[in-house]
Amino acid sequence: MIGSDAFWIVLTGALVAVASGLLGSFLLLRRMALIGDAISHAVLPGIVLAFLFSGNLHSLPTVLGAAAVGLLSTIGIEALHRRGGLPGDASMGLVFTFLFAVGVIGVSSLGGNADLDQECVLYGELAFIGFEERLLGMPTSTTILLANLLLVLGVLGVGYRGLFLTTFDAGYAAAIGISTAFWHYLLMGLVSVTTVVSFEAVGAILVVAFLIGPAAIGHLLTDKLPWLLTWAAVSGVFASLGGYALAALLDANVAGAMTAVLGFEFLLAFLFGPYGWSTWRRRRPQTGLEKLRPLGAPVKP
Amino acid sequence: MTTAIADPVLEVHDLTVTYRQKPALWDIDFGIPQGVLVGVVGPNGAGKSTLIKAIMDLVPTASGYANCFGQSLDEVRQRVSYVPQRESVDWDFPASALDVVLMGRYGKRGLFRRLSNRDRRVARECLRTVGLEAFADRQIAQLSGGQQQRVFLARALAQEADLYLMDEPFAGVDAATERTTLELLGELRDQGKTIVVVHHDLQTAAEYFDWIVLLNTRLVAYGPKAEVFTPELLQETYGGSLTLLANVSELARKQNLPVRE
Repeated sequence: MIGSDAFWIVLTGALVAVASGLLGSFLLLRRMALIGDAISHAVLPGIVLAFLFSGNLHSLPTVLGAAAVGLLSTIGIEALHRRGGLPGDASMGLVFTFLFAVGVIGVSSLGGNADLDQECVLYGELAFIGFEERLLGMPTSTTILLANLLLVLGVLGVGYRGLFLTTFDAGYAAAIGISTAFWHYLLMGLVSVTTVVSFEAVGAILVVAFLIGPAAIGHLLTDKLPWLLTWAAVSGVFASLGGYALAALLDANVAGAMTAVLGFEFLLAFLFGPYGWSTWRRRRPQTGLEKLRPLGAPVKP
Repeated sequence: MTTAIADPVLEVHDLTVTYRQKPALWDIDFGIPQGVLVGVVGPNGAGKSTLIKAIMDLVPTASGYANCFGQSLDEVRQRVSYVPQRESVDWDFPASALDVVLMGRYGKRGLFRRLSNRDRRVARECLRTVGLEAFADRQIAQLSGGQQQRVFLARALAQEADLYLMDEPFAGVDAATERTTLELLGELRDQGKTIVVVHHDLQTAAEYFDWIVLLNTRLVAYGPKAEVFTPELLQETYGGSLTLLANVSELARKQNLPVRE
């Protein structure tokens, strides 16, 4: 049975890592890596609420309800920033900590509930995945995560050019009549859903590592987007494999070990990758002279 | 001064844009006929880029409107091509020069249909026009600033539009790019296209453009450059800073300082 347990753990970890790695690649390119952090915290009250209503974490309404809270939090962050005039990072910090606090209150007042406790919320329970009820022949979480990965792959496949264009040059995209808001919230929606379904496996804190880590590794290995996505997925799979081995060796938390391996992979990519440390010395020096404006001229708005 | 234009390609009417309760553009009213090369000139902070963005519907307007080809922009987006400032995007983005130029075909093709061989042929053709044929597969991070600017021009060309709005295509570029860009703008004009260019350098403006729009939050004047480039109107546009600017550039030339904007 141990062998089959290991298989489910590695597979589930890989499903989390690949889905969040692909989405994280676009977040990183949009300079929005931390929005994943915000969403992963903001979905907590949604999860608690949905859990109260449905009594379990695996129903479709639970997932969609919690993801909707995540999506709402990004809308709230935008609104506070745009209309409220609050700086972007401040509005993010305000919204997600507030929602997370609501979630923490919910979780702790449900104290002692076997399916939803603080340990599980923060660190995940990947190690026990093999004991879950089966759905379509796999542990329920694994099946859900597989469905999520297929959804992510499908949307990225169909919407690749839309995300590519709006990520690189939102101004031009808007000029040719493409709704940048649609693509923004489509990506945010996918991140929300992925965060919710990954929650149980790896916990609220480590899902951020899976959103940023594989993407950052890919960034150090290539300067082509299709390869960046590929490397993000590959490094995610390796982190899952290596993390399981490390956790088994040290008898430690599996998700934590996977994140540690991800960090180690990043270090290797940083030291030896073609776009890592070695290129920093070869980069063109920026003198800053290009940006000088004539003395006495007013500053552009 | 206002010249009445029959059948303007671009018509801006009563346009006002505010930025944090302060006007960035105030009651702008002008028209541009077909087949001219127009420079939008004014001091820093005059609202030159804002004008183009407002025409492209990229910033909210407080009042007024802009029409292209006598219709609202939404009806004719395919025929209007926009070149943003080079600094507005991150050139470390994992894309090749050809990838960026192909974006010029997205509007025609839609985001979900496959790009055809013709799209690729047009994109390569546009790269050749700006002298970057050999750089098609080069990653954009490895291009020089001038080459990056030319990639933006090629993308605008790939759209096969009739009206071009360009935001500072001459800012901080090398001599080769400046020459290529100028030739290209001339060719487009000779094909009957209309080109509106935001330009920061008063010295070269008279030489580059047929028409000039003088802007300083309000519209000071617009029309053929011979009518607009008068000391009075320039003084009105730049105010005291005109002499100051002239003095500074004179000083820089004398002392051989590396001054670029």
